[in-house]
Amino acid sequence: MRSLSALIACPGCDLLLKKINPAGSIKQFCPRCNRLLYQKKSHSISKVLAISISGLIAYIPAISLPLLTLNAMGMHQNGSVFDAFVSFYHQNYIFVAVLLFLTSILFPLLKLSLLFSVALQLKLRLYSNNLPFLFRLSHYLDEWGMPDVYLIAVLVSIIKISSVASIQYDVGFFCFIFLVVMTRASSSALDSEIFWQEIQQIKPPMQLHENSSD
Amino acid sequence: MDAGFISCHDCGILVNVGNIAAETILSCPRCNANLHFRKTHSISRTWALIITSAILFLPANLLPIMRVDFLGTQEYSTIMDGIIYFFHGQEYGIGLIIFIASILVPLFKIIGMLIILLSIHFKWKHWLRHKSAMFRFIEFVGRWSMLDIFVIALMSTLVDFGTLTSTQAAPAATYFTAVVVCTMFAALTFDPRLLWDA
Repeated sequence: MRSLSALIACPGCDLLLKKINPAGSIKQFCPRCNRLLYQKKSHSISKVLAISISGLIAYIPAISLPLLTLNAMGMHQNGSVFDAFVSFYHQNYIFVAVLLFLTSILFPLLKLSLLFSVALQLKLRLYSNNLPFLFRLSHYLDEWGMPDVYLIAVLVSIIKISSVASIQYDVGFFCFIFLVVMTRASSSALDSEIFWQEIQQIKPPMQLHENSSD
Repeated sequence: MDAGFISCHDCGILVNVGNIAAETILSCPRCNANLHFRKTHSISRTWALIITSAILFLPANLLPIMRVDFLGTQEYSTIMDGIIYFFHGQEYGIGLIIFIASILVPLFKIIGMLIILLSIHFKWKHWLRHKSAMFRFIEFVGRWSMLDIFVIALMSTLVDFGTLTSTQAAPAATYFTAVVVCTMFAALTFDPRLLWDA
């Protein structure tokens, strides 16, 4: 069993293709099913490291501080992303509450921290046995963290509410926008192929006689 | 696949496995994930999830998804009521966004996956490029259906002025979330390469 570095198979239709390495960041598409195969991104590891740190700094205020304050009929009401989860929980919609917690609170945090730890380990060239797993996990979670969908939901709510109450934008709102921008930026700066190649480079060669070592 | 090569699902590296028994479990030399020629039980899992979401789609749209209490009166509204409310209020843009995200997208996902599954079942070999593109669109658009759930969560947190007026979720919220999760998993379990195997 050995890996072939000169060939790839299209993940969309399994067509075998010769790997080409163009100079610029040209998008390569599969000639048969038109799937995007690869786009090279420059300085991917450093960029992902920087972006994930900035995202993590904004994370706690973005989730816990109030997004908006409503003023209506002399009363005030505000809420944060975390409050929205708690409110569903108290209404006994446990399934929805759990999903809300995962998609808007846990997975955005996990995604940024996984990318941070993988990029940091690659930067310092430290290999740990769970490094490939951590990076794979960040791919599995990618689709399930939905801060960007949440931001659109905040905007829809603003329009819904604006006719009945006056809205005051709070710190959490701006932190949340920053978090969304950083999450999206980390995805677009991420070049998985470079990450995997680096992981393979710093991975120690496989031990053939594992039993004899101890 | 016929050449004895496996492309890793997780990191995309191509591995030459030669002639090995089908039951052998191999792991990727680069990322340690288990190697498969195709995703395991892809067709039956995707069928199960799509049928589940088609069934759940009915209560999700017919039952009320939100309850607004105003001065002691309770008013329930379904997803469609919310959209009509926006159109009456001349807010066409927002109405359209909600309509696309909560009705068109789930419907398109279910019908689209059905077309793809049927075309594999009956070995239809036409429009493969278009079906691949449609699958990639279904994959991409899946998460945006959660929009309505997030809006309800925010509304029930923000619009809560005690007995005067408050907003709460209603039973369809659970069904609707289940539809979104099932269709997202259906897109994950489906292996687009099966389209080209026929």
